[in-house]
Amino acid sequence: MVPLIQSLVKKHLERLAAEDVNLDDFAPKVIEKAKALQERFSPFITINEKLASENMPRHVMKLPFSVKDNICTRGIRTTAGSKILEPYVPPFDATCIHQIKNAGGFVVGKTMMDEFGFGTFATNCAYGAPKNPIDPTRVCGGSSGGAACVAAAAEFPHIAIAQSTGGSITAPAAFTGTVGITPTYGRVSRWGLIDYANSMDRIGAIGKCVYDAALGLSIISGYDPMDSTSLNAPKTDYTALLGSEIKHLRVGVPVEYFGADVDESIKRNALDMIKGLESFGVTWEEVSLPSTKYAISAYYLIAMSEASTNLAKFCGLRYGMEGPLDGNYEQYFAQLRGKYFGEEAKRRIILGTYARMSGYRDAYYLKALKVRAKIIGEFRKAFGRVGVIATPSMPIIAPRFDEVKKLTPVENYAMDRMTVPSNLAGLPTISVPSGTSSGMPTGIQFIGNYEQEGTLVAVAGACEQV
Amino acid sequence: MAGVMIGIEVHCQLNTESKLFCSNSNDMRNKKPNESVCPICLGYPGSKPVINKHAIELGMRIGLALDCKIADSMFFSRKTYFYPDMSKSYQITQYEVPLATEGYLTVGDTKIRIRRVHIEEDPAKLMHVGGDITNAEYVLIDYNRSGVALAEIVTEPDFTTPKQVHQFLDNLLSILEHLGVYDSSKEATLRCDANISLDGGERVEVKNITGFENVEKALNFEIIRQNGMKRMEVKVERETRHFDSDSNTTKSLRKKEYEEDYGYIFDPDLPVIKISKEWVSSIKKNMPELPDQRVKRFVKQYALDEYTASVLIYADKNLADFYEECCRNYNKPQTVANWMMNYLLKSLNWRSERIKNSKVRVGTFVELLTLIENGTITERYAKELIKEYVDTGISPKELMKKSSSGKIDLDAVVKKVLEENKKAVDEYRSGKQEALKFLLGRVLVATNKQADPKLINEALLKQLGASIAQ
Repeated sequence: MVPLIQSLVKKHLERLAAEDVNLDDFAPKVIEKAKALQERFSPFITINEKLASENMPRHVMKLPFSVKDNICTRGIRTTAGSKILEPYVPPFDATCIHQIKNAGGFVVGKTMMDEFGFGTFATNCAYGAPKNPIDPTRVCGGSSGGAACVAAAAEFPHIAIAQSTGGSITAPAAFTGTVGITPTYGRVSRWGLIDYANSMDRIGAIGKCVYDAALGLSIISGYDPMDSTSLNAPKTDYTALLGSEIKHLRVGVPVEYFGADVDESIKRNALDMIKGLESFGVTWEEVSLPSTKYAISAYYLIAMSEASTNLAKFCGLRYGMEGPLDGNYEQYFAQLRGKYFGEEAKRRIILGTYARMSGYRDAYYLKALKVRAKIIGEFRKAFGRVGVIATPSMPIIAPRFDEVKKLTPVENYAMDRMTVPSNLAGLPTISVPSGTSSGMPTGIQFIGNYEQEGTLVAVAGACEQV
Repeated sequence: MAGVMIGIEVHCQLNTESKLFCSNSNDMRNKKPNESVCPICLGYPGSKPVINKHAIELGMRIGLALDCKIADSMFFSRKTYFYPDMSKSYQITQYEVPLATEGYLTVGDTKIRIRRVHIEEDPAKLMHVGGDITNAEYVLIDYNRSGVALAEIVTEPDFTTPKQVHQFLDNLLSILEHLGVYDSSKEATLRCDANISLDGGERVEVKNITGFENVEKALNFEIIRQNGMKRMEVKVERETRHFDSDSNTTKSLRKKEYEEDYGYIFDPDLPVIKISKEWVSSIKKNMPELPDQRVKRFVKQYALDEYTASVLIYADKNLADFYEECCRNYNKPQTVANWMMNYLLKSLNWRSERIKNSKVRVGTFVELLTLIENGTITERYAKELIKEYVDTGISPKELMKKSSSGKIDLDAVVKKVLEENKKAVDEYRSGKQEALKFLLGRVLVATNKQADPKLINEALLKQLGASIAQ
């Protein structure tokens, strides 16, 4: 068997076990390295500089994590990429942050993201845009762009905590040549996650390799009574499933994901990877998911409807930005929201509000929920025949910043067509590198049945050996 | 008042330990503003609601008591509107499928249909400083109330008079108290919105009226106002009004040309809750005794007339509890009822107090009745004493000690009266029975009408007899 890709994290854990890491200066050194990364690629909104000076016992700060900036970190500013939350320092930790701290992890910094997750390229952020470490004229992908950027570029052991609503883990993982795991909906507690679309929001992990991402998920998963949609399932060590047998695994290849709208080289890389898995005893067959073509519309209607209610709370009261107390309440919050929400946030608030207005609600919001149910049904049917479904992660390679600027909102939204269906269904996915195209990485995405993250880790681990 | 149509919505703060979606206490006694709050009820980014199942069970009790159908599953929706009392700018409520539907409550001879009972969270409390809602200088927000569990009870527009509404509310309050779902002693509130239209005209909503008397007043005012408008041929507009309890009038808050659009979506943070038949029947099995059942029991168990039983039970559930506790300690149910109905209630009402928050206790009240029974004090004196007792809560025995007029030395008074009225004494001795009545009247006056005439009579006869023997 070919050895697994060398994991910096794994090596670091081994050195920790052998007490071969000088913990007195480990965390401060990591912070210095993070600052250097920031100079080159700006993946962070906030670097946890306080950490170096904090009176924390160093020996508990063993493994560095970066955290997407929509996940609440007690005492560390959390903006969700929005100006409206610029001064916001949460009074509590998200559940996944608790778990990281309990596991001996520490937060290096909060990573760049599209405002509230509203974007595919991590270019809709109030604080800048992360540059792709492989080609800094190109984007990292979004919305967890900063997370993938750190995962790709860090020369220190590190796991990125990322989050997806419609593909925000898979997209940046594919664009940066990293591995991104999006778990089953509910696997990781959403307590402390600043909501985009609650029925689809999932916290996951991005790492340089499958081991890193799998370790990240193992740490942050688990039942949490503070999240009513939390999955009541036992905690699993997914790293233990790396290298496990996938001999009888049947891979479904959905025709709808290999159409003319996907770059040829990306399709070829994905299909080559699937064929490469044959040496592990894997077989594959075509499957059909006919409602895929409606997924983008359904996704954006549901996501925007939910988002427009989630963003209603940002009114310049209690937390976040405030304004001069002029006029009545309506004038006050309208002025404040107008000033501090970005363009894409405003677009989604308006569209989402429209989609749930009485008179349009049936035609848009409720109809979209029906489409969602249909898409879930088709996935269930497919999983009656196959163990995993393989698709290209993204239809294109990471575009250049100037190319992104030229896209219309609709073209922009359409970029999510590979990732949105599984997010509507809440199915776990993993994106792993499948090769390159024009010098940029391409990704293959495996979609698993509910709670089958273990299978995804095993098959993705095999991909690293193809 | 032909053509008056009234429907009401009642918001009842539920008697749960904690709020609807977080673990903050629901008990608002001795709470400073913004003390009982957390990231959830303040709507902090990243916080998520977790349902308090007990609130659902209390809601089911209400539904069952009002003969409603209970839904077989329930879910929550987001009702979005921008108002400073709503921390998330949306309220978590029930929209499409309420917890309970299609019930009724009979008031007098009228069946008032219940459209729905649903569970929702209470908004924060706004304090209008320097005026009321229409003209305040500024507004303070107290989030203690934010997220408190509410049951909203909505009737069909079946009321034809404001008086009926008042009666309905009295009955409903007693039911809610008997169900244990509402406890005013914890500063829980019951708030009422009323919709009223005349002769099929536009519907006017009067919002957030506290106090049942005020509901009746607000509606009476609306009838006069709307009739006046009709006489002057001014069209009644669809609008929301606010009741001003200082002037007993309603003021316009906002015109409603169209149905308000709250953009309801399913709350994706809260999964669907199945309501199994077993769950409903376990609630049914453990339903507390309802006021109607209790009235029947009182008539049977204590031989009370239905009117007395109804007053005791519908005036205030705690009053009926107090009555039963007294009866356990003093086995004369009719006497207890008389004294409660005629004197205790009057004193409480005069102080606008409810028994649970008053200083009246079963032990001391029974003591008073015992003092009357064994003749230690007269009924007349007891009627005076009870006022002071309700005021202070001091036991009647202690009050008597304190008061010099408490214990009358009847023998001394009688002796003095006999000495001062020798003529009448002689007349009595010569056989004039009217003279005894005269002497009795004198003694009564001399005791400030505090002494029991029966006892005076006895004392007179004793002393008159003694003087004959002399």
